[in-house]
Amino acid sequence: MAVRVHQTIKYEAEADPTFAPRIKEKRGCEKLEACIQCGTCSGVCPLSIYMDHTPRQVILLTRSGFRDEILKSNTIWLCASCYECTVSCPKDIRITDIIYSLKQEAIQARAYPRRFPIPVLAREFYKMVRDFGRTTESFLVVKLLMKTNILAGLKMWKLGLQLVTSGRFGFTPESIKNRRQLQQILDRVGDDNGKNGGPKK
Amino acid sequence: MENGDSKVRIGFYVCHCGTNIAHTVDVASVAKYAAGLPGVVVARDYKYMCSDPGQDLIGEDIREHGLNRIVVAACSPCLHEATFRTATARAGLNPFFCHLVNIREHASWVHTDRAAATEKVQDLVRAACGRVRHHKALERKRVTVRPEVLIVGGGIAGIQAALTIAESGKKVYLVEREPTIGGHMAMFDKTFPTLDCAACILTPKMSQVKAHPNITLWTYSEVMGVEGFVGNFKVKVRRKPRYVNEEVCVGCMECIEACMYKQPKFDDEFNQRLGKRKPVYIPFPQATPKVVLIDPETCLHFKTGKCKQPCIASCSRNAFDFNAEEKIEDVEVGAIIVATGFKPFDPARSPKYGYGHFPNVYTSLEVERLVNASGPTGGEIVMRDGRKPKSVGIVHCVGSRNLQTNRWCSKVCCMYSLKLAHLIKEHAGAEVYNFYIDMRTPGKGYEEFYNQLLEEGVHFVRGKVAEVTDWAMTPEEEGKLVMRVEDTLAGFVRRIPVDMVVLSVGLEPREDSQEVRRMFNISCSSEGFFLERHPKLAPVDTATDGVYLAGACQGPKDIPDSVAQAGAAAAQAMALIDKGYIEMEPNTAFIEEKECSGCKSCIPLCPYTAISFNEATVKAVINEALCKGCGTCVAACPSGSIKQNLFEDVEIFSEIEEVLANA
Ligand SMILES: Cc1cc2nc3c(=O)[nH]c(=O)nc-3n(C[C@H](O)[C@H](O)[C@H](O)COP(=O)(O)OP(=O)(O)OC[C@H]3O[C@@H](n4cnc5c(N)ncnc54)[C@H](O)[C@@H]3O)c2cc1C
Ligand code: SF4
Ligand code: SF4
Ligand code: SF4
Ligand code: SF4
Repeated sequence: MAVRVHQTIKYEAEADPTFAPRIKEKRGCEKLEACIQCGTCSGVCPLSIYMDHTPRQVILLTRSGFRDEILKSNTIWLCASCYECTVSCPKDIRITDIIYSLKQEAIQARAYPRRFPIPVLAREFYKMVRDFGRTTESFLVVKLLMKTNILAGLKMWKLGLQLVTSGRFGFTPESIKNRRQLQQILDRVGDDNGKNGGPKK
Repeated sequence: MENGDSKVRIGFYVCHCGTNIAHTVDVASVAKYAAGLPGVVVARDYKYMCSDPGQDLIGEDIREHGLNRIVVAACSPCLHEATFRTATARAGLNPFFCHLVNIREHASWVHTDRAAATEKVQDLVRAACGRVRHHKALERKRVTVRPEVLIVGGGIAGIQAALTIAESGKKVYLVEREPTIGGHMAMFDKTFPTLDCAACILTPKMSQVKAHPNITLWTYSEVMGVEGFVGNFKVKVRRKPRYVNEEVCVGCMECIEACMYKQPKFDDEFNQRLGKRKPVYIPFPQATPKVVLIDPETCLHFKTGKCKQPCIASCSRNAFDFNAEEKIEDVEVGAIIVATGFKPFDPARSPKYGYGHFPNVYTSLEVERLVNASGPTGGEIVMRDGRKPKSVGIVHCVGSRNLQTNRWCSKVCCMYSLKLAHLIKEHAGAEVYNFYIDMRTPGKGYEEFYNQLLEEGVHFVRGKVAEVTDWAMTPEEEGKLVMRVEDTLAGFVRRIPVDMVVLSVGLEPREDSQEVRRMFNISCSSEGFFLERHPKLAPVDTATDGVYLAGACQGPKDIPDSVAQAGAAAAQAMALIDKGYIEMEPNTAFIEEKECSGCKSCIPLCPYTAISFNEATVKAVINEALCKGCGTCVAACPSGSIKQNLFEDVEIFSEIEEVLANA
């Protein structure tokens, strides 16, 4: 196997000095800089064994301004929001909330892995709720599969059929009355939502 | 600048304090303004009034201009009131004719508008000149200091302080709650970083304490109450009964052998409940005093009244006294040293480590007993399940550096964890893993000790252990305790199976620290450790004169630091005693006897119990030595018959009138 060699050094110019202060301003992220890098969060996290950066490293990289590095990381998308890290952190850092803010940044910057299902699901879910006031799972799943991995979707035809025949998947789109009002509400909160990377029309 | 008209002749001085004051206050114009105030004979501004030439100015002016009042506008009286009063006294004027106006903390440091600040200073100066004309000559009273010292707590800190003071020829009362002195150090096998045997260096000191003619040792005793003040404390000590005469028993332990209980049956507190003892016992072979005692909670005689009491018969010296009762001793001392030590963190408060749930999870203090030759296993590391561990994980920072438990670093845990790693390897030949957040080894020879451990092949993993579990995920993990941790230097999560887990518990204040604090009238920091008067410059003094601190009761510290601090506390106590007297500030309250109606309103109000009632004259009486000049009684007296030196009505009202004169 060929050994590939590339530079791993980081120059300070690659760091974004405005990144940490910006994240720190968001709700739940105030204590970002109090981290003592103890690793408790990574140790308790049920998913850290799959992450390319452990939750502790996420805190470190965020605080040091390595924005590109962190927005490309799979960690923020693997996080299951179980809050185990937040409960265990000895410095009361709300790691889960920080990861939420990073997700928003990534969506806004369109920096997440393109065909990664979790951010795609987040967008499609939001769109559907905005348009109809409810989600119709069958449509949502089909949309998700089309935007991420059509092939895998096709392979799941049998499961899909079973879900339909057993009545778990309906094809009547669900919807609420006064969808316009809901959209107005969302537009109002959308100011903030849009700024924080929420989906925009 | 003379305008001497009346008999009051004021000298006024305003200080630049370098630029501290002069930057924001126009000092020259303040001096000019003061020169025009009634009674002011001389008014000057000067760069540093507290310097020798500054002080000399005052003296020269007093002599040359016949000044009889001095007003200095400078920094806080806390800093330099004494300086200027002394300078005044040196020139032959009563020092209480000198008054300080704080124009630094109260003006230049808190204002930015130069004109307004200058105007404010003029108001303050006018008020001072107004009040100082009413000042009286006052005398400081001297109170003699008793030469005895009370030391509370007989750990290494209390022992060291006691021996130092006793050696200087002064009498010491050492009060220890437990049946023996020695504190935590007596439980250890070796001590870092030199690994000298704890008993070898401690027990000779313990015997010296017992034997020293100047030390009265009261173990199994507690201080019940303290009254009085620096130099003259009255202390009540409660001595619990041992049911064995301390003066007679020689610690032969025949009675322990003879006890109705043939086998030790009750949890042995000294051995951290890892061993058993009988109802009649001695905490450990070198206990000081070397005297047995009976625990009435477990003794058959006390529980049922039906024991044949073979212990009594076995004693050839007739030392038993089952009718003994607690004794109260009253002593008077000049100074008090509080050396009550710490309490180890209870790891049941951090359930993720499985303490109390998995039998093979231990605290560090328990392991100190396991590796100790005089411990419950004779120095062999045998776990609760009877096995010897082949692998051991030591978790640093248990309870420490954590907002959910104790926020502080306990300072000694990294070092004693290294010590335990070494001892466990030595005693059991086990693989040892140390899990740490940051390795803190500042101290002489400490980093070298860390290097030694690295070279001994102890494994170091930088990461706080997330959990200890018995849930095996691989065959190697079967039957083990698995430590799940992020190896933060490697950047991934590891699972490390071990036989035994050691929790390096932090140091925290004792449970009764609040009661002790109140009893000795000292304060606590937010953590609950006793508070020193100044973190850098008065580390063994407290806010109460004559009460000093030594050892881990003031904050986590190791043995070398505890000993050093004990020496410092002893020196402070001896300095106080050797001086022989204290001078009391004369700003005390006094009662105009003929006006006092004898209503007794003031008596319960005084926070220092300085007021008593004279039944013969039917008047209240203030003990000048106890009065701290808080003024409470002065304000409360319905007949206005209590007055306070330096705060008499004319002084205060003229100050108020003048400060408002331009408003
Ligand atoms: C597991 C462990 C290992 C350690 N190993 C080392 C080491 O190897 N080297 C080292 O330098 N340091 C070590 N330390 C730190 C060491 O224990 C302390 O520095 C030392 O014990 C402090 O002494 P002290 O006298 O202040 O307190 P303590 O040892 O706690 O003694 C206080 C004494 O006061 C008594 N007392 C408490 N309250 C009262 C009261 N109200 N009235 C009367 N008496 C009272 C107590 O009974 C006790 O005897 C270790 C600590 C731990 C927890
Ligand atoms: S648990 Fe908290 S303090 Fe520890 S590394 Fe994670 S975020 Fe930092
Ligand atoms: S909230 Fe996310 S990062 Fe935190 S422990 Fe759960 S999955 Fe891991
Ligand atoms: S009275 Fe009985 S139980 Fe109590 S110490 Fe003596 S022999 Fe033991
Ligand atoms: S001034 Fe304060 S301390 Fe002095 S006697 Fe009155 S109440 Fe007590």
